[in-house]
Amino acid sequence: MSLDESSYILLPFQFEKVDTGDFLLTNDAGDFIYVGPDEFDRLVSSDIDRNSEMYVNLKTRHFLLDSPKYLANTIDLLATKYRSKKGYLKDFTCLHMVVLTLRCNHNCNYCQASSQDAKASNWDMDKKTARKVVDMIFQCPSPSIKIEFQGGEPLLNFPVIVEIVEYANRVNRRFKKNVSFVLCTNLSLINKKILAFLKKHHVEVSTSLDGPKELHDSNRILRDGGSSYDLFVRNLELTRSVLGDDSACALMTITRTNIDHLRKVIDEYVRLGFRNVFLRSLNPYGYAQKKTGERLQYSIDDYIAAYKDALQYIIDLNIKGQHFSESFSTILLTRILTPFSTGFVDLQSPTGAGILGAIYNHDGSVYPCDEGRMMAAMGDTHFCLGNVHKNTYQDIFLNPKLKKIVTASCVETIPSCHSCVYQPYCGADPIRSYSQQKDRSYVGHMPTSEFCKKHKAILSHLFSLIRNSDNEVMDVFWSWITKRPYKEIGLSCNQ
Amino acid sequence: MDGKNGACYTIDEGKICVYLYRAFFQREAVSAAAQKMTGCYYIEMKSLDSERVAIYLEPKSKALGTSEIESLEAEAKVFCNEVLDQQVRLDLEKRYGKIRELIVRQAFSPVTVDELSRELKS
Repeated sequence: MSLDESSYILLPFQFEKVDTGDFLLTNDAGDFIYVGPDEFDRLVSSDIDRNSEMYVNLKTRHFLLDSPKYLANTIDLLATKYRSKKGYLKDFTCLHMVVLTLRCNHNCNYCQASSQDAKASNWDMDKKTARKVVDMIFQCPSPSIKIEFQGGEPLLNFPVIVEIVEYANRVNRRFKKNVSFVLCTNLSLINKKILAFLKKHHVEVSTSLDGPKELHDSNRILRDGGSSYDLFVRNLELTRSVLGDDSACALMTITRTNIDHLRKVIDEYVRLGFRNVFLRSLNPYGYAQKKTGERLQYSIDDYIAAYKDALQYIIDLNIKGQHFSESFSTILLTRILTPFSTGFVDLQSPTGAGILGAIYNHDGSVYPCDEGRMMAAMGDTHFCLGNVHKNTYQDIFLNPKLKKIVTASCVETIPSCHSCVYQPYCGADPIRSYSQQKDRSYVGHMPTSEFCKKHKAILSHLFSLIRNSDNEVMDVFWSWITKRPYKEIGLSCNQ
Repeated sequence: MDGKNGACYTIDEGKICVYLYRAFFQREAVSAAAQKMTGCYYIEMKSLDSERVAIYLEPKSKALGTSEIESLEAEAKVFCNEVLDQQVRLDLEKRYGKIRELIVRQAFSPVTVDELSRELKS
């Protein structure tokens, strides 16, 4: 490459003209800056005044370089930052979701799982399979292992939870990994005996709440058709009384039923003492797609509008003194405002499916993500990587199919994504590309992708908030990133 | 057809036809811009002669109402801007693409700064 000593060197970046007419520039290390249209023209024409404030800003954020003599060191520095952003790749594979049973005592409207009646048989993981799963999990090179119990309702197969926890702890005496456990439960079957076990083994609890009683019950009903809300609240109190006030976190799913009432949902979360909410859209997989139809679904534009309104409501709550965060925004803000990697399976490049997380069905079959398992339940076993009873770790995690999924899911090379200004903070969902767009290459077609539209809109909104907000809002964002109350944030960081 | 600006368009039978001069735009820029329109349009690309290519954009949805031509003209302008935008990206990539490659390579198979310097000089 020829390097002109007299002019500055442009370093790689993506750009986009934003609503104000200015240009947003980002680089692969996640640095960003806004420049005016004239400044942009001068930048690309190598005509920025070296004595200007803009020149200094561009230089300090690694969009240009004074002289070729600094290039090798700068590449090394940017490579370090880039490696930090991709730090999740070192945790191959850290999240292991184990489906203990397909049985469930709930019949949620939007359930993507192929849940079976609570009294059905042959839908539980047996202890032999559970041990095989644990043996496979410990072959992963990641120094940290999180085993997440899922279902159905996993507490319907509590003896196998006990088996996995105790066996994993025994196996770990040899591996000495950092092992943690999470129980994803609707809480309906929780009791003091179970809680004592969870407390003894430091098992975290994750649950679901879709709003106040009326909204929650309209989505999450018991199999007999009865309300689940009162039982949920009662058992949440019991859980907290044993495990502590912050012991249970909750997820919500946005449906047509509650999309226009997200402020009420947030109020309910606050009222019940939760410190965050994940405003999760409906999953277009498996039985969820078949069951929900027009009754629960909404357009992606409706979701984006509702999300923005809810986010503003949460920001205002924080400013008024209520420490409460939105989890998805927190992940994206961490990517935008810090140099760190975030371990969110659903939005990584390459995909987190199989790399960050893997899921083991009750029969021992292994999938790179839950969505692949859902599709198998509907008859498409395309994403099944193998079975713990028949295949080795190498068979499953070095499976050519998984390699193809990973290769196809680098946004740095996907058409439209490769030049997108939000690329450093975004990711791919090859399973969705296969499922929704019928793309057997997994790459996807971004001009028609709702996944792309959703993430672009949310990232664009966050950038707009960062640029236009006062110090109060930035303090709220930093309080979410650092998990400290808003009042403790004294940075008043104004980008 | 005036090619002084590198691009011009016509609207004919509900289709947009954009003529682009090769002297201004590379194939990669045209393809990238066309790919972005594939959500709403069927795209056809033809080489007219050694100087020009033609891009035909046929709306997937014909229900554009009475202002159909105005809408298509606006879309044709959007496409012309997009080609220009993609060409700028391509030009920039030529300037720093090698640096991007080195950053990614260095991130995952680090070599010493001295080795990097030698490679840059070569």
